[in-house]
Amino acid sequence: MKVKRKSLFAREDLVNRLSSIAKQHGYTLYSLVNEILELAIQAEDAGVNLRRIFEERWILENAKKDGFILGLESLWYDMAELVYEKSRDEALKRWFEAGVWLAKRYVTAGLERPFESFKRSLEAYTWNVPELTIEEDGKVVSIRIISPRLPESYTVLYSSFLEGALETFGYEVTSREVSAGMMRLKAVGKEADVEE
Amino acid sequence: MSKSKKLVYVSEDLIRKAMELARSEGKSLGAFVEESLELALSAREMGYSLEDASKLLGVMYANKILGGVFVPLEVFNRLIQAVYEDEGEKLKERWYESGILHGKYLKERFEDPVEAFKGFLEGSRWDLSEVEVKEEEGLIRFRCFSTILTEEGTETLLKYIEGVFHGMGYETARSDQMKGIIILEFKR
Repeated sequence: MKVKRKSLFAREDLVNRLSSIAKQHGYTLYSLVNEILELAIQAEDAGVNLRRIFEERWILENAKKDGFILGLESLWYDMAELVYEKSRDEALKRWFEAGVWLAKRYVTAGLERPFESFKRSLEAYTWNVPELTIEEDGKVVSIRIISPRLPESYTVLYSSFLEGALETFGYEVTSREVSAGMMRLKAVGKEADVEE
Repeated sequence: MSKSKKLVYVSEDLIRKAMELARSEGKSLGAFVEESLELALSAREMGYSLEDASKLLGVMYANKILGGVFVPLEVFNRLIQAVYEDEGEKLKERWYESGILHGKYLKERFEDPVEAFKGFLEGSRWDLSEVEVKEEEGLIRFRCFSTILTEEGTETLLKYIEGVFHGMGYETARSDQMKGIIILEFKR
């Protein structure tokens, strides 16, 4: 079936660049432009902002390097609940160690501001949490998480993960408030003299 | 930046869809098209092909809808092992049920749900070193391999994959597994 075509105007510089890419790969300009538009429409139809995906592509790449995979939220919470009931201490230890491991990766990577990078990654990985704030004020770090979906078991385990990371960054947790869907942690630099 | 314009040709069908979307976003058709072309060029400069972009799109979108969360692999494996000891059957049942739900969603949402599922697995389960799906002689042959998947992780993942295919309307014709290897065949 012959496909009906329509013409429209686009910026010359864009068309020239696309033309040269099409030539390099043995496509026609027509097929390349149509392929791009199809993808853009598919994205918009799905309610996804294509620009944002490209801007946030680093999240998937970084998560892989940081030893994370994408799991299913409901199953993840269920399993956390079961393990928490069965062997709480062991589960807390595992999560704490995972936090230590992740923080070590940042501490030893030769980054100029490892905690800043860690914070950025953590914020990106918790896309299921509507409210996460990590504030650094001098030698004091405050973390606040609010998500009605998080069961108590998961919140407690996640706080252990964060404590492991904070300790590795040289902080000591001085106060914690953890309950279903809510967590507040405050930590001070181990060498800092901060009044509580 | 050049202000000159050049003519490009686009299929009428795409123009119609693009026009609807542009209108709903309060943009002109020209702006929508130029923005899309510009984005594709930037993606290319970042090292992404259109195929990569499409896969990335599928993974991000499916995860957003299906409730994917980032989890540390080590803890993930440990949790599965710990729960499996006492509640293996219950755990497998839960993975299977999640799979059914996801399979139904993929069938509803994607033109080629099997391919979409493959992309989803490749994009989200980096612990799998190879995922292969082939359609041969009326059967869907699925194979995946991992050098780091635990035995319990293999069994639960198998149940999830079976659930996904059952949710898409397939029946299991063959099921084979060992630590880090899943081989499944499905028929309509």
